[in-house]
Amino acid sequence: MGYFADGFSQAADLLLHMDDATMSAIEATLVSTSWALAIAALLGLPLGFVLGYTNFPGKRALRLISDTLLAFPTVLIGLLVYVLITARGPLGSFGLLFTLPGMVIGQTILALPIIVSWTAQAVENLDARCRQTLLTLGASRTQTALLTLCEIRYDLGMVCVQAFGRVVTEVGVAMMLGGNIRYSTRTMTTAISLETSKGEFAQGIALGLVLLLIAFVVNALLTWLKRKGGK
Amino acid sequence: MMDRIFEARNLSRSYGGVCALWLPEFQVERGECVALTGRNGSGKSTLLRLLAFLEQPDAGTLHYYGSTTDPRRDITLLLQDPYLLKCSVFKNVTLGLRLRGETDHLEERYRAAMQDAGFEDPMALADRTQAMLSGGERQRVALASRLALSPRVLLLDEPTAHVDAASEEIIYASVRACLNRGVTILCATHDRTLFDFLDAREVVLRPRS
Amino acid sequence: MNIVSKTLLGATCALALALPCQAADTLMMATTTSTQDSGLLEFLEPTFRQETGIELKWVAVGTGKALEIAKNCDADVLLVHAPAVEKKFVADGYGIDRRQIMYNDFVIVGPKKDPAKVKGKSTSAALKTIYDAKAVFVSRGDKSGTHNAEKKLWAANNLSPDKEAFYVSAGQGMMATLAIAAEKGGYTLTDRATWIKFDNKNNPLTIVVEGDKALFNQYSVMTTNPAQCPKVKKDLAKKFEDWWVKPSTQKRISEYTLEGKQLFFPNAGK
Repeated sequence: MGYFADGFSQAADLLLHMDDATMSAIEATLVSTSWALAIAALLGLPLGFVLGYTNFPGKRALRLISDTLLAFPTVLIGLLVYVLITARGPLGSFGLLFTLPGMVIGQTILALPIIVSWTAQAVENLDARCRQTLLTLGASRTQTALLTLCEIRYDLGMVCVQAFGRVVTEVGVAMMLGGNIRYSTRTMTTAISLETSKGEFAQGIALGLVLLLIAFVVNALLTWLKRKGGK
Repeated sequence: MMDRIFEARNLSRSYGGVCALWLPEFQVERGECVALTGRNGSGKSTLLRLLAFLEQPDAGTLHYYGSTTDPRRDITLLLQDPYLLKCSVFKNVTLGLRLRGETDHLEERYRAAMQDAGFEDPMALADRTQAMLSGGERQRVALASRLALSPRVLLLDEPTAHVDAASEEIIYASVRACLNRGVTILCATHDRTLFDFLDAREVVLRPRS
Repeated sequence: MNIVSKTLLGATCALALALPCQAADTLMMATTTSTQDSGLLEFLEPTFRQETGIELKWVAVGTGKALEIAKNCDADVLLVHAPAVEKKFVADGYGIDRRQIMYNDFVIVGPKKDPAKVKGKSTSAALKTIYDAKAVFVSRGDKSGTHNAEKKLWAANNLSPDKEAFYVSAGQGMMATLAIAAEKGGYTLTDRATWIKFDNKNNPLTIVVEGDKALFNQYSVMTTNPAQCPKVKKDLAKKFEDWWVKPSTQKRISEYTLEGKQLFFPNAGK
């Protein structure tokens, strides 16, 4: 029981005094996750929209692939990207392994299918009358597409928030590609895993609390978006 | 020759091999009010979508003798159980105008269209979203969004199917007012009261047997 | 569009926090978990940076994995503790300039009740006793330096416990392996540094064998062979190796203590 209480009091201390290592892990997490999310959203939102909005041969196959990738084990993503970006790999000349950009690549791949599949789903779930209504009001094809996009804006927000939650709490990709380097690629999750293996629970608990807080904010945001989207 | 606005011959449309509409001959005069009746599945909604140029017929000809080259600027369709976008009433009603790029005097035009749809105080509703409206109000906001476009032809699909008695009265009155302004009206309905009230010519659609 | 744009805006703000560029003088080291988990690296790193101007980054993994990382050219230098494997690594042309820098020792720990009665025996006798008694033995099982040392000890006594039911292969770091041994009431081989960190008053384990010559644990530094990996920063790597063997560093290594006990014993050039 001593472990537990001590851990919490030391955790509070670390957070209150903005301990360097703790803050650096939080920063690394947020920076890499934001990049991954930005890139994945930039690619995934248009892709998902086209996938859900249009009809073309092969669409179903693409949806199936994207849905399958949703269940891609993160360690497998880590392994594949590792093989790609190790100095001996095809992208080795960029020196990406054990750096934040290397980690961002893996996290982007993790977030992309989530964004693509769920965006397509949001478009498909939209009431069919919406498109007809827009047409009866004289909208052109482009206008109809843009307004459809606007109509699912809250769903898209939810998609991004959920992808963020998935990436921020992930440990396999961050550990394998980032290498858990102090003050550099040590994220909240890899730090927790390290501190636990060192038998030091305080920093792990402190970071765990921050992660919980982030999860709380993410869920509050989701609830809010859900309510707004219902209107 | 009368002042004809629609003329159709041997019109047919099917979905996935099932015939949804078959109409050998059909004309509408300018300023006329036509009630489309017939059993469910006889093709009323399909015909309206064709007349609104939202879809193309599989076979046959459909002519619109309007003033513009783009019939979709003259004709608008109020769908059965209409959909309102997730934004304010004001934005919903003025959406068609903004899509056309007509952004002048939006507030006046909003007010006029809402009054035509029987709202006494349009500005009170301007900022509401569809979740804050009753079924009847929703239908009338949707009607107002069509009236705002000042259509020459107004197509209505069961406009009173999902509304309470009070809203029904208001919708009758505003459709009547449109007719009096010279708008051509085609209305798919089961509602005999509406159709007597409008002195409509009845066209009964029958599925192809 | 406000939510989408807000989300994108937030993401773009993160772009402003541009990803930190690699500083010019950064050296990537692959090392073993014991040097990191014992706290030695964090203790020495500020001195290293001050004296050489080089920023040292490290990934802490088992020795096997560390060598693999260097083999793939993903690290410039190594700090590891598996002499036999290291020598083969150099002989195979993957590493150069191997220098011994310090040692600590392994100890065999086990439950305080000592069910197999090995306390005070020699390493070789203790292992035989554990094997015969089929007492639980937890192995790192991760190709780390400690795992290598352990395998060597079994082999030296002509024992191969790999497939035995009492032999638990953890596949994890030393601290986790100790925790497993504590939970299961088993014996294990550990480096002394991690043991001192692990040892606290609630600990059910105690040292049963120590001080045997066979338990000597040598640490060395090496440079990834630039002939194999042209990107290796060989000038910085040279400075790195020189730094480890110079007297002031060697003294500093001996100054690192945990719970008042010295953890590593410098022996460069010996």
